[in-house]
Amino acid sequence: MLFNSLSFVVFLVIVLALYYSKIFKWTGKKRMLLLASYVFYGLWNPPLVILLWISTLVDWTAGNKLAIEENQKKRKMWLLLSMFVNLGFLAFFKYGNFLLENFTLGLNALGLAYEPKPMDIILPMGISFYTFQTMSYTIDMYNKKIKPARTFLDFALYVTFFPQLVAGPIVRAKDLITQFYEEKKATSQQFIWGTFLLTIGLFQKVVLADTLLADVSDQVFGSKEMLHSLDAWTGTLAFSGQIFFDFAGYSTCAIGIALMLGIILPDNFRYPYAAIGFSDLWKRWHISLSTWLRDYLYIPLGGNRNGLTRMYVALMLTMLLGGLWHGAAWTFVIWGALHGMYLVVERLLKTKITIKINALNGVLLALLTYTLVNFTWVFFRAREFSTAKNMISSMLFMNPEGSKILHGFDVLKVLTLISLLFICHWIMRNTSMKEVSKKIHPVILGVIWAMLLFLISISQGSGEQFIYFQF
Amino acid sequence: MLIAVALSLLSLVAWECYWRAHGKLPDIDDNKDLWAVQRAKVETLSKEDVVLMGSSRVLFDIQLNEWEKETGIRPIQLATAGASPLPIFHDIVNNTDYIGTVIVGVTPGLFFSTTFPEAGPWKRAQTRVEHYENRTYAQRINHCLSMPLQKHLVFISTSEEGWSDDIDLKSLLNSVSLGAERLEKPQFPPFYKFEYMDENRNVRMSDKTANDTAFARTVKNVWQSIVEGNDRPPQKKETTQFFVEDAKKFKARGGNLILLRCPSTGLFKDIESKHLARTDFWQELVKATEAKAYHYADYESLKNLDCPEWSHLSGPDASFFTAELVKIMKADGALTNSKTN
Repeated sequence: MLFNSLSFVVFLVIVLALYYSKIFKWTGKKRMLLLASYVFYGLWNPPLVILLWISTLVDWTAGNKLAIEENQKKRKMWLLLSMFVNLGFLAFFKYGNFLLENFTLGLNALGLAYEPKPMDIILPMGISFYTFQTMSYTIDMYNKKIKPARTFLDFALYVTFFPQLVAGPIVRAKDLITQFYEEKKATSQQFIWGTFLLTIGLFQKVVLADTLLADVSDQVFGSKEMLHSLDAWTGTLAFSGQIFFDFAGYSTCAIGIALMLGIILPDNFRYPYAAIGFSDLWKRWHISLSTWLRDYLYIPLGGNRNGLTRMYVALMLTMLLGGLWHGAAWTFVIWGALHGMYLVVERLLKTKITIKINALNGVLLALLTYTLVNFTWVFFRAREFSTAKNMISSMLFMNPEGSKILHGFDVLKVLTLISLLFICHWIMRNTSMKEVSKKIHPVILGVIWAMLLFLISISQGSGEQFIYFQF
Repeated sequence: MLIAVALSLLSLVAWECYWRAHGKLPDIDDNKDLWAVQRAKVETLSKEDVVLMGSSRVLFDIQLNEWEKETGIRPIQLATAGASPLPIFHDIVNNTDYIGTVIVGVTPGLFFSTTFPEAGPWKRAQTRVEHYENRTYAQRINHCLSMPLQKHLVFISTSEEGWSDDIDLKSLLNSVSLGAERLEKPQFPPFYKFEYMDENRNVRMSDKTANDTAFARTVKNVWQSIVEGNDRPPQKKETTQFFVEDAKKFKARGGNLILLRCPSTGLFKDIESKHLARTDFWQELVKATEAKAYHYADYESLKNLDCPEWSHLSGPDASFFTAELVKIMKADGALTNSKTN
């Protein structure tokens, strides 16, 4: 079920009505939320709820065993079982075809004729999110960082909680399960703020991503022609905005909906396009994934404890796997590799150059960071390397005779919107929407809110998916 | 929050009134969900039922109410504008047990166009077939919930086709032009919606198209642009072979197949006579399928009907065409199962 759909509006109203009715006690409410979460997921493809159940059962069992088992060998076995099941699901459903393709290519390169039928595998929505979330529980249990969930219901709800089930934020057990232990009820302020966040998220998705940016990005990246520089840049900038508004929009909706239930989810984006450098970017973009990768991959790989070279290797490996997490294609690996290289170069430069950030050099460095990020988005969005190569050469002004495929108004629309996006991120980089809203008169805030609702209504989102669902 | 809700509701009411004052009427979008609802009905049809498929000519020219009045049976409308009927017929033959009547509209430029999966006429139809197979429960619920809104509100106007006069925000922005255009290639002329559709996918040409020649001209401009931009020769052999295979299978299990050629005039008639000649295409298809076949030009009452924009009949003419056609078919015994028989 999509947040930007009529069925979700009805679903949410029913869930809220049941949640705040006096029919259920807290345990009953949690059961209702769990059932609602399965319905939320199952309305897409009912049989795939079974994967959620398996993941839940395996990690609940592994977690309980890890809580009492002292034998280190057996503890490791339970951890490996959890990882085998979760990563096994990912490997089969997400990377099955990719692995088969590359295996075939390898055999063909060796001169062995092999032409298997592609496997007809459905990618379960949000599998990368919930497997990472549930794995974090088992790993934390293994490392004795958390206590086991008190009840199976609390754990199952942690794995399946519908606001963040299919596209995050990827929440750690210590941050979410403990919230289920005592009855939660949003205060009126929380409920109103949650509703406002839901509106902001929908506005980002429906109006900004789908209505204003998606078509331009699709047109440019779908073109088979060598493009004019302005068209290539406009398409890439449009995608940079589209993916931000799409994904941040989903996270904002998720945080808002959870808040309407009195549950607090962590921020997932903090104005990333105002980042100064790439370490800063990853503290602002998809925070729940970058911290997951840091805690469960980069640090176990040695982090910065084993000298510079090992640190750079760990960094590159983390970013390469981070790229692969986003999709089963080599273009995503290149996207990850570029980010890894940026991070390595930045760390190298930091050992040689010290810059005191002020407003002027800050904004220039943020602009430089954003420009370099845009080159990575080309590989993220392009379905083929040839498209990425053409786009990059056009963006580097190497195709002066390239085709002009975008209307003048589309170029103006994207450049204006992206400029506003960048300025907005720069202004907001050290504050939050909540802080800013406190300074605005409630009537003005109400008028702005009404405008957002009006624009959402007249846009009637035709986007059928959030981009990050496929990851 | 109260201010937000009150103001947004007021704005929407004003928006709705504004577009109604500009002559807009609530309309159902002919999208893949609406098509899938009709397609689903085929699963439970009996031998007495009728399924229509083809392209927009069947959509416009066969009026479901007239048909029902004449036969007692309301046909299922599966025709898809701008599409080849081949993928849809293939789906019905191979994925259902249906043994009733299938009427396939033959618009030569589309029917004989292609069997290439990525070509527009094929893809438009195949996408709908695939959507029917893959649609989620959430999509079904969304469609059900959207129907009352589409039926009663003008501002709910996002369309799958993307008409130039849609009034959702994206379409309104797409209509903005900066004057001096930077594009080097010639642009497709504006394509305004020229029909109304109901929830059973019954289409009727708008009165404006039938009576306002300047408006009908805008639709003719679009046809002209499509025809001039099409440099692909018809794939007569491949399309005929593909269809005949399914036709034989359908007839072998007891299905009643009828081919129908709807009227065209002006540019379309000229092109169809010159490049898709009846003797070379239509007659060979009829011969190969051994199906009952009706060509509008063979009937005195039908051959002089006018198409205001060269390709489709006006509402009243479509009603007349349907009633006449049913009479002719009944007289031939082609519709042996109609209830009035």
